[in-house]
Amino acid sequence: MKKILTFASGLLFLSLVFVSWMNSRGPKPVKLVPSLSDQPEYCITCHADVPEISASHPIETFGCVSCHGGERLALDADLAHSTMRGGANPSDLSVVEASCGGSNCHSGSEADDRHHIQRVTTSIQSTYAGAIANIRFTFGAQSDLTPLFGINAITDENTQTGIASLLAFDLSSEANPSIQKFGENCLTCHINATPREGEDYARQTGCAACHSTGQHTFSTAIPYTQCNACHNRGNYDLRTMTFTERADHPTQRMDDYYQPIAQFTQCEYTLDCVDCHTRSEVMGDGDIHASQKDIQYVQCKTCHGTLTELPLTKTLTDSNDIAFMMVLLDPVVDLKLGDTIIITEKGEPLWNTRVLPNGTYELIGKATKQYFTFRPVMGTACEQNPDEQESHYCHECHAVER
Amino acid sequence: MSDLSRRDFLKLARDGFLYLSSALALGGLLRFLDYEPNPAPKTEFDLGPASNFPLGSRTLLSDPPAVLLHTESGFSALSLVCTHLGCGLENNPDGFACPCHGSRFDADGNVLRGPAAKSLQSLNVEVTAEGNLKLFTA
Repeated sequence: MKKILTFASGLLFLSLVFVSWMNSRGPKPVKLVPSLSDQPEYCITCHADVPEISASHPIETFGCVSCHGGERLALDADLAHSTMRGGANPSDLSVVEASCGGSNCHSGSEADDRHHIQRVTTSIQSTYAGAIANIRFTFGAQSDLTPLFGINAITDENTQTGIASLLAFDLSSEANPSIQKFGENCLTCHINATPREGEDYARQTGCAACHSTGQHTFSTAIPYTQCNACHNRGNYDLRTMTFTERADHPTQRMDDYYQPIAQFTQCEYTLDCVDCHTRSEVMGDGDIHASQKDIQYVQCKTCHGTLTELPLTKTLTDSNDIAFMMVLLDPVVDLKLGDTIIITEKGEPLWNTRVLPNGTYELIGKATKQYFTFRPVMGTACEQNPDEQESHYCHECHAVER
Repeated sequence: MSDLSRRDFLKLARDGFLYLSSALALGGLLRFLDYEPNPAPKTEFDLGPASNFPLGSRTLLSDPPAVLLHTESGFSALSLVCTHLGCGLENNPDGFACPCHGSRFDADGNVLRGPAAKSLQSLNVEVTAEGNLKLFTA
């Protein structure tokens, strides 16, 4: 009996030593108390090497849990990750409201320009409404091009376009085989779709589809390569309703840029898409639109003017001008009160431009940080009709050979 | 010195294991009881002798992030945590600027530019009987 007691006490001691040793081998808990939540979390015990996602989301303010969810006190990886939102991507549109929303964050009022989630979820990039309406009209499922369906059901209570809602596109209720094939093969480009397989299509979903330009990086300095993941990887074959992947792998920017069959001027392929196209064109303006052409409006004349008109400009006199917020997010230019910048016909600031004292203009690449100077059309030998300003008119003279 | 009998050795070993086990278990228990996953945030800060902050001084503090002012009316302090989302503010010639979302505040903490909508929080400062300054964030 005494032998058993001695053996048992020895076993107990060894067990406790083993538990103590195992405990000492694990990572020492690292606590972070973000000022936004004021609640401790231990994520950086394991994730200290993850880079800060952006200057607007410092980790000491936001921490990890306010965006990602998860069990903030857990030290076991499985438990800690068990309640994360959207897996590794909290900006997926299925969870974006919980992750990125809130009146002070990205689902605030339109007046405060904080309705980002409303803009994204109603945008053509999310609804795909134009493509769906076109295909359904083409194959007789609807009598005109009025958008009826989006990828998800969506409503816009304050519609400015007359489109107050879209129903969810339901493939099971479509009888036409071509529409069926469209649904099966051609819905990989909307912003919340899982992308096609392959490095050329690699992107995340939701906000991150455009803004995540690297590992745990969010940026408004979006290079054209990010846009290319959807916009330049092939074409839909409307006869077979299949997606034909682009077979070439160009090494020069001019050949890589957008559709290889299209025409472009030098400035179009030298600049990035976001250098010209505005935030409302790309991310939506909060209204449901019928198609891409209804929201995209920037043209060559926006920056270059016409024979009879100079581009629209504005001198910055209000420190609350949205242009200053844009510069804060992507400080490629030292914008000051009193600077004159180009604006679009809808009044959106092209904050990465400036009117120079000699009457020419300067544009700074948002992603490349390159400086470009350019002249207005007015006063040149251009003979273009001021009423014909779509880009294809300009391409007739200015497109580069490729 | 007599040889240790087999019985005594077993007793000694058993007692030794039990005592050591008890010590280890007690240590673990104390550590467990001492663990505080949700400690209340510190709200009281000792800034040292008030004489370190002469009349007319404007001192930036890092912990807590605040600016301490000593004027004719006494000591006062402003939190340098942005009232928008809680980012730490940077000192600039006009006042304070938020590096996260661009809010600006004047030297008195009033909003000059959004998205912050509220002025900076005033913090209580007290001079103790010993002549030390105490700053309260809540």
